Amino acid sequence: MIHMRSLARVLVFGLTLALVGCSTVGTAPTPAPPAVPYPPAPAPPRPVPPPPVPVPQPPARPPQPSTASAWQPLVEKAQQATALGDYEQALALLERAQRIDPESGEIYLQLARTQRAKGDVSQARAAAERGMLFCSSNSQCEALRALAR
Amino acid sequence: MPPFAAAGGVNSHPMIRTRHLLLKLFLAALVPAALVLIYLDAKITSTFTDKMWELPAKVYARPLELFAGARLKAEDLAYELEVLGYRSVANPSGPGQFARNRDRFEIYTRGFDFPGENEPARRVLVQLGGQRVQGLSAVGKGIDLMRLDPVQIGGIYPLHGEDRLLIRLADVPPTLRDGLLAVEDHRFYEHRGISFVGIARAAFSNLRSGQVVAGGSTITQQLVKNYYLTPERTLVRKLTEAAMAVLLDLHYEKDQILESYINEIYLGQEGPRSVHGFALASRHYFGAPLSQLGLHQQALLIGMIKGPSLYNPARNPERALERRNVVLAQMAEREVISAEEAQAARARPLDLHNKHRIRDSFPAYLDLVRRQLRLEYREEDLTTLGLSIYTPFDPLLQRQIESSTTTILGQLNKGGELESASVVTRFDSGEVAALVGGRSVRYAGFNRALDARRPAGSLLKPAVYLAALEQPGRFTLATVLADTPVKIPVPGGKPWEPRNYDREVHGDVLLYRALAHSYNLATARLGLELGPRRIVDVMRRLGIEGAIPEVPALSLGAGEYSPMDMAAMYQTIAAGGFRMPLRSIREVVDAQGDPLKRYPLEYDRTVSLQATNLLSYALRAVVQEGTGRGAYAYLPANFAVAGKTGTTNEGRDSWFAGFSGDLLAVTWIGRDDNGVTGLTGGTGALKVWAHFMAQASERPLGYRMPDGMQTFWIDASNGFLTGEGCPNARLLPFISGSQPRQSTNCTPRPSGVKDWFQSLFGG
Repeated sequence: MIHMRSLARVLVFGLTLALVGCSTVGTAPTPAPPAVPYPPAPAPPRPVPPPPVPVPQPPARPPQPSTASAWQPLVEKAQQATALGDYEQALALLERAQRIDPESGEIYLQLARTQRAKGDVSQARAAAERGMLFCSSNSQCEALRALAR
Repeated sequence: MPPFAAAGGVNSHPMIRTRHLLLKLFLAALVPAALVLIYLDAKITSTFTDKMWELPAKVYARPLELFAGARLKAEDLAYELEVLGYRSVANPSGPGQFARNRDRFEIYTRGFDFPGENEPARRVLVQLGGQRVQGLSAVGKGIDLMRLDPVQIGGIYPLHGEDRLLIRLADVPPTLRDGLLAVEDHRFYEHRGISFVGIARAAFSNLRSGQVVAGGSTITQQLVKNYYLTPERTLVRKLTEAAMAVLLDLHYEKDQILESYINEIYLGQEGPRSVHGFALASRHYFGAPLSQLGLHQQALLIGMIKGPSLYNPARNPERALERRNVVLAQMAEREVISAEEAQAARARPLDLHNKHRIRDSFPAYLDLVRRQLRLEYREEDLTTLGLSIYTPFDPLLQRQIESSTTTILGQLNKGGELESASVVTRFDSGEVAALVGGRSVRYAGFNRALDARRPAGSLLKPAVYLAALEQPGRFTLATVLADTPVKIPVPGGKPWEPRNYDREVHGDVLLYRALAHSYNLATARLGLELGPRRIVDVMRRLGIEGAIPEVPALSLGAGEYSPMDMAAMYQTIAAGGFRMPLRSIREVVDAQGDPLKRYPLEYDRTVSLQATNLLSYALRAVVQEGTGRGAYAYLPANFAVAGKTGTTNEGRDSWFAGFSGDLLAVTWIGRDDNGVTGLTGGTGALKVWAHFMAQASERPLGYRMPDGMQTFWIDASNGFLTGEGCPNARLLPFISGSQPRQSTNCTPRPSGVKDWFQSLFGG
C-alpha cells in the first residue's frame, strides 16, 4: 500500500542519508573503547623484583570490532531531530543505537544530552551515570560526569 | 340485462372482485415488504463501512538488525528468513526471495514501514564469517545499517476469533482480481447485484444434472451472505440475500463491493480462528504477502472459495490441485491469462508454505504483551483498531531457550513431571527477549514464568549481601562472618535452626565466600544483624513489587516469587545498580502508522553502584569457585559470567539467575504439585541456563569499576591486608577507604599465577 506519507518519508530519509554521507567524509572514526579499565593498585614499599619468570597468561580477548559506522548515522539523525525539537524521535533513534552498541559512552552521552534538552533531568543524570561505566576518553568521561551531577 | 349487473354494479363481477381482492392483498403486502426493505437498507448502510475497520492488533518481534561486525550465525539468519516466509530461490528477483551459498546470502528484502523510519525493499548481499557479518552491500555499495522486516508473532483477536488483514483493491494483483471475476462472477460490473442470467443458467445446469451444481450467486450476494447472514439455505434467506444484494449495489460502488469481498470471503480455519480475505489466506497458506504469490498460488485461493474445507490444500492436496487447475483453465478461457501461462502454472506443485507457523507459537510471550497492553488499552480497542505492537521478542533467543529447556529436562527425566520456566532479558535495555512458561512450550496454559509463586531459596541472598555492602563502614567482601549454628526467630512459632546444604559448619569465612558457597548459617546471621526491614528495602529498590514477608527467615528465601520477579531483581544487579522496568513492548502504532505510545528506555539508579560492583564480584565467585561451578561444563573457560543458585527444601525448587555481558536469564525447575525433585539449583536450573548461555550469549561479562573503588590484596584466611604472592593472597575490590586496617606484614613478591579476577584486567 503506497501512502503519500510513506513516500514522503522515504524521500526525506534518502535526502538525509545523502546529506549525512556528505558531512561524514573525513570524520575520524570513534576510537573503540579499551577492553578493560586500568585499576589503581595500592602502593606498599616493594623490594626490587627478581627477573620475571615466563608464566601462562590467560588468553587475551580479541579486540571487539567497532560498530560505530552502524550507529553513527543514527546519532546524527537524532541530533537533527533534537534540533527540530522532536525529542521522542531523537530518543527512539538513540535507543536503537544503544541496542546496537550498549557499551558506547558516546551514545549514553547523547541520550543524556537529549534528555536534558527535553527537560527530563533525572533521566539525563541516570543515563550519564550509566555512561560513565563505559566512557573511553577523558573528555567523554568529563562530559558524562558533568551531566551526572 | 346481464345476470350480474343487478347484483351490485359493474365491479361486482366475481372475476373483478377476485382481482380487487388480489390487488388489495398485494398492496397490503407491500407495506411490510417495504418496511423490511427499509430495515435491510438501514442495516447495510450503517454497518458496511464499519465492518471494514474492525481490525485486530498485530504483534511483531524485533527486526533483525544487520551491520558489519554484528554477531550472527549463518543458521540463525537462515532461520529468521524461514520464519519470515522468504522463499529460497536460485536468483532472487522480487521481494521475499533469497539465495544462499553457505555463508553468503543474497536477499531481496520486503522492506517495512517502521514507525518513524522506512526500510526500503531492496536486494542486498550479506557475507557472514566467524559468526559475524563480514560484509553488507547493495548494488556494490556498502550498507552501514539495515533491518529485515519484523516477524509477526501473533495478534490480539476479538472474542469471535476472527482475524483480518486488509488489502486495497489497487494492491491486489491483476491476475487475481480478474481471475476471481472470471470464475465467480464474470458479469460483476454489468449486473445490479443479482444476475437473472446467472440464476437462470444455474437453474438450468442444476436441472440438467439433476443436482445442485451451481449457486448462481453473484459476488455481491456472496458478500451479503458472508457479512450479514447465517448460512441457512432457505427460500426466505435466499430472497433476503437477493434484496440486500440489490440494495448494496444501489448504495456502493462496484469497486468498493469487490474490495470488501476480497477482504471478507471465508477461506479456511487457522485452529480456532477463521481465515477471511485473500491477504490473510495468502499468509496462512503460503507464508507470504498476496503481492508475492505466483499465478498457481493465486488460482488455488480462488478455487477455494467454493469450498475451503473441501479444497483444503493441506488436507486434500489432490482435490485442491485439481480444483486449482480447473480455475486456471477457466482463467485461460476468459483470457485473463494466456494458454501458455496456464500450462506453466498447471505444472507447478501446490507450493504451500505453512510449516513454520510462527504466529501464536509463543503463547507465554504474547501473554506478557497482552497483560502489559491491558493496563492501558481497552479490550475493544486492542481487537478493532488495527494497532501494530512492536516488541523486543527475539525468535532466535526463544528458539534457543526452548531447545535448552527441552534438552536438559529430557536428560533430567524425573518421570516427566518436571516443569520449568525461564525469562531472558537484554539487561542493558531491560527488554524481555524470550519467555518460557512451561515445558510444553507451544501450549498456552499456565504461564509459570509470570504466575508461578514459589519460594526463592538462596536466590534472595544477594539482596542480603547487597544490604550489607551498602554499609562499607561495617561490611566489605573481606569481612569475616561466622558460619556457625544460629536460631532464627519465627513469628508466633518455635525458632528455626537452619543448616548448611552440606550439613557442615564452616566457622569463620570471608563475606564473599559465604555468598559464593551459599552458606546458610553465615547468611542467616548476617540477615539478623541487618534486620529484615533493611532487606525488604533492598529488594524493593532492586525491583520486586509483590508481597515480601518482613521476617527473619527472609534472608534464606521466605516468601513466594515468580521467575519474572527474580528477573526484575537480577536485572538491576546485572545493569550495575540501574533499575529498569522490564519491557515487553517498544511501541504501539495505530492503523495509519502514527505512533500512539512509546515505552522508553528508563534508568533509575536505586542502589549504590559501588556496592553492586562488589556484589558482582561475589556473584562471579559463585560460578568460578562456588555453587555455580557447573556452568563451565557448558561455557568456555574464559567466558566471564555471574549468577546465583537457588535451592529450596528437599529440592522442591531449583533456581538459577545469572548474566553474561549481554543477556540475563532466570530459570526455574520444579513440580506443579510442589513435590520433591531431588535437584539443587546447580544440578537442575543451572544446566538449562548454562546450556542456553553457551549458545546464545554473544559477549562475556566485562569488568568496569565505578569511581571511588580500589583493589587490595587480602589474606583469604583472616581478612587482613596482605601483599601479592603472600600466603592465601587474593585480590579483592573495595570501596575506597573501607579496606581492612589490619595487615599480615608479609612482603609482597610477584606471583605468576593470576586468578579469574586478575585476568579480567587483561593478559
